[in-house]
Amino acid sequence: MKYIILLFLTCLTLCLSQAILAQTASLDPPAEAALVPSEPPAPPSNVRVSDLPNDDGHGIQVKWNLSPDDGAGAKSVISYDIYRADTPDAPDSLWKKVGTAVLGIKSYADKGERDAGSRDYLPKHTNLYYRVYAVGAGVRSAAAAAGPVQATDDWFNDMKVPELVFCVVFLILTVRFINMAKKGADLYVRPLAGIEAIDEAIGRATEMGKPILYVLGIGTAGDIATIASFTVLGRVARKVAEYQTSMIVPCIDPVVMTIAQETVKTGYADAGRPDAYKEDSVYYVTSQQFPYVAAVNGTILREKPATNIYLGYFAAESLLLAETGVLAGSIQIAGTDQVSQLPFFVVACDYTLLGEELYAASAYLGREPLLLGTLKAQDYLKAIVLVCMIALLALRVITGADVIRKPFDMPWW
Amino acid sequence: MKRQIPLVLVFVFGVLLAIQYFVPSEASQRGYEFVLDWITIIGIFAMVLGIWSQIHVGYNKIKHRSEDWQYSVVTLVSMFAMMFFGLSFFGGLHGTIFRLIYNNVFIPIQATIFSLLAFYIASASYRAFRARSAVSTVLLVAALLLMLRVIPTGPLADPINKIGNWMLLVPNLAAKRAILIGVGLGGVATALKIVLGIERSYLGKD
Amino acid sequence: MTSKMAMRILTAIVALIFLVSWITKSGSGMSDSSFTNVRDGFLITFAVFLTLSIFSFLYRDNPFYKFAESLYVGISAGYWMCYGFWSTVVGNFVPRASRSLSEFFHVPYQEHADHILIYIPIIFGLILLTRLLPKIGWLSRWSLAFIIGATAGLNLTRYLRSDFISQVSNSFIPLFVDWKGVGSFISHISLAADGQFIAILSNWVIFVGVMCGLVYFFFSKEHKGAFGVASRIGIWILMITFGASFGYTVMGRISLLVGRITFLFGDWLKIL
Repeated sequence: MKYIILLFLTCLTLCLSQAILAQTASLDPPAEAALVPSEPPAPPSNVRVSDLPNDDGHGIQVKWNLSPDDGAGAKSVISYDIYRADTPDAPDSLWKKVGTAVLGIKSYADKGERDAGSRDYLPKHTNLYYRVYAVGAGVRSAAAAAGPVQATDDWFNDMKVPELVFCVVFLILTVRFINMAKKGADLYVRPLAGIEAIDEAIGRATEMGKPILYVLGIGTAGDIATIASFTVLGRVARKVAEYQTSMIVPCIDPVVMTIAQETVKTGYADAGRPDAYKEDSVYYVTSQQFPYVAAVNGTILREKPATNIYLGYFAAESLLLAETGVLAGSIQIAGTDQVSQLPFFVVACDYTLLGEELYAASAYLGREPLLLGTLKAQDYLKAIVLVCMIALLALRVITGADVIRKPFDMPWW
Repeated sequence: MKRQIPLVLVFVFGVLLAIQYFVPSEASQRGYEFVLDWITIIGIFAMVLGIWSQIHVGYNKIKHRSEDWQYSVVTLVSMFAMMFFGLSFFGGLHGTIFRLIYNNVFIPIQATIFSLLAFYIASASYRAFRARSAVSTVLLVAALLLMLRVIPTGPLADPINKIGNWMLLVPNLAAKRAILIGVGLGGVATALKIVLGIERSYLGKD
Repeated sequence: MTSKMAMRILTAIVALIFLVSWITKSGSGMSDSSFTNVRDGFLITFAVFLTLSIFSFLYRDNPFYKFAESLYVGISAGYWMCYGFWSTVVGNFVPRASRSLSEFFHVPYQEHADHILIYIPIIFGLILLTRLLPKIGWLSRWSLAFIIGATAGLNLTRYLRSDFISQVSNSFIPLFVDWKGVGSFISHISLAADGQFIAILSNWVIFVGVMCGLVYFFFSKEHKGAFGVASRIGIWILMITFGASFGYTVMGRISLLVGRITFLFGDWLKIL
C-alpha cells in the first residue's frame, strides 16, 4: 500500500511540473523556393517497357537511361514524369500520368488496379504505350516513347523460392521423422520445466478444490499462437477431466470460443468423462482487449483458481493478468510468442514458455510419435541453420567481405 | 462423415492457401481476398454465438441467484442498451447517445485499466528484482540501466545512455532474432500439423 | 462495525460526493443550455466515479469495481456487435449481395461484384449456427474446419519471410569490420560508438547471441557439457533482452497513469 501512495504522489508531482513548465513553440514558415524559368532539359533515352514480374497481371515496368541533364547545370532535371496511353498516336489529353520518379532514378513500376471501374485501372493483355519526360524547373523535355507492351499474369513468384525450399525441406524432414517415430524409434526431447509443471498444477487444483483458469490470449482463430494454444487446451482438458477438477476458459473471440468448446469437450470425452463437461465453463466475454482483461481479473479474484495457464497471443494486458494471479495466490504458467510480452510473464509467472516452447508444448504433453516427429524436424532445421551460418561466416572471414552472396537475395540468376 | 469432411476441408483450404502464397496471378489474389472476406463474414455469425453465450451465462446466474448475480443484470442491460442505440436508427455508430456512452463510460474505464499497469509494473519490479540467482541479477541490471536512461543522473547520464542504447541495439537484437527464428519454425510446424490432420482435437469426438 | 454497515456508509458517502460533484460541474458548465450543462456535469462525474472504482481494485475487489467491470463488459460487447454489423454486414456483405438492401442502408451497390460467391460464407455462417441445435450441432465443425484450415494455410507460409528468412539472412554480418590487421586494431582501440572496436564487438555479440539463443531452443539434446555452456550463454542474452524490454516499458506505463491523474486533478477538480 505504501509504494502505491508513493507512486501516486510521484505522478502528481510530474503532472504539476508539466502544468507549470508548459510552453509553446512556434515554427518559422519555410522559405519559399524561387522558381527560375529555364530551358527544357534533354529527354531520357533508351526507354524500355516490359511486363512487371511476379505480379497479378496489372503492372508494367518502365526503364530508361538518365537524361544528360540529370543533376547537372542550369537545365537540371528535378524528376521524370511517366505517361500511359492505349495507342501511340493518341492526343495529349488521352495520355494519363501514372507516376513520377525523382532525379537519379532509372525505373518506375506502373502498378495499376484490377477493377475496370477504378481510376487507376491497368488492363491485362492489351497493348499499352508509355512516354517518359524529364522535368526541370517549370519546364519539361520532349517525350521519350516506348511500346507496345502487354501486362500478363505470372503463375509463380520467383522471389519466394527461399520459402518454397524451406517448406519442401521441412516437409521432407517431418515425414522422415514421423516414419521413424511410427517404427518405434526413441525420439528424445529434453525436459521443459513449464510443461512438467502443468501436471503438478492440475494436481494442486484438485487438492485445493479450486478450478483451473485457462486463458487463450487475445488473438483470433487466425493467430498461430492461438491455434498452438488449442492443441495444449485439449490435453489440459483431458487431464482436468481425469483429475475430476473443473476449468474456466474465458474467450475474447466467438470463433475461438466455439473451437475451445469443441476442444474441451473432446478432452473430456477422451478421458471417458463426457458428462462432466459444462458448456458454461467455456464462454465468450467480449471482443475487446481491456474489457476482456477486466472480466478475467474479476474472475481470478472471485473464483481464486489454483492454477492460471496463459498460452497464446498477448499484448499489454499480460502484466495485468499475471499480477492479478499473483494477488490471488495462483500458480501461473504462461507462454507466448510475443517477444515484447515475455519479460512480464518471466517476471510475474512461476513458469514461462518462451517463444518456440509454446509450439512444442503439445508434443511434450501428448508424447505422440507424430507430434514428436515434427518437433525433431524443427530441431534439425535449426541445426542446419546453425551449421550453415557458422560455415558461411567462416568462409566470409577467410575469403574476405562480400565474396559470399547471401543465398536469400533473390533472384540470383 | 462427422470428422472426415472437416478433415478434408482443413486439408484442401490449408493446401490451397499455402500454394496461393507462391502464385501472384489475379485469380489467386482474388481467391485470397475472398477467403479473408469469408472468414470475416462467418465471424459475424460467430458473434451471434458469442452473444448467446453471454446471455446464457448471465441468465443462469440470475436464475439460480448465484453470487454477484446482480452484476450479470448490469452486464446484460448495458449490452442490450448499447445494441439498441447502435443498431437502431438513432444514428448507428455515429449516433449521439451511442457516442456519449462510448466516450464517457467506455473510454475512461479503458484508460484507467491501462493505467493500472503503472502500479503492476512497480509491484512486479519489487518482487522480481531481488537477485535470487545470477540469471535474475542479469535481468535486474539490464532493466535498471534502461530505467536510469530516462532520469537525470548528472555526469553519468551520457555513459548510461550509450550503454542503454547499445543494449537495445545489440544483445536485444540477437535474442529477438533467436526467438523469432524459433517462432517461425514453430508456427510452420503447428500449421503443418493442423493441415495434415495430425492435430484434430478442435474437430470434436463422434 | 460490520463490513456490510461499512459498505453502506461508504456507498452513502460516495453518493453524496457524486451529487455534490454533479451539481458543481453542472453549475460551472460552459454551454448556454442548462440541459447540456446538467448532462455534461453528470457525465464527467460518472467518468470520475468509474475511474476511481477501477482504481479501488488495487486495494481489493469491491462492489464499485464489480459494477464498473460489468458495465464495461456489457458496453464493450454491445459496441462490438454494432461495429461488426455496420462494418462487416452493411459495409462488406450488403453492397455485394443485394441492390434493394444497399438502397435501404444507403451504401453503394457494387455492380461488378461476384454476387453468387458472397453467399458461400453465409451458408458456412448458417451452418455454424447449428451449434445451437444439439441434434445437428456437429455440422458446425464444417465451418470451423474451413476457418482453421484457411488460417493454418495462411500461417504456413505468410510469416516465413519476416520471422525466419529475414532473421537468418540478416545474421550474415561481417565479424571483422574494416580489418587492417592486429597491429592497426590494437593501436586504434577506442570506445567511440562508431569505432571499429565497438562495431566488431557488437557484431560478435549478435553472432554469438543468435547462435547460443538457437542452441537454448534446441529440444533434442540435454543441456550438458559444451552444449550446456552455449545454452547458458543463450539464456543470459535472453535475460538481458527481457530486462532491457522491461526497463524500456516502465516509463511508458507511468505516463498512462499521469494521463489519468491529469484527468482527475485537471478536468474534474480543476487543480491542474
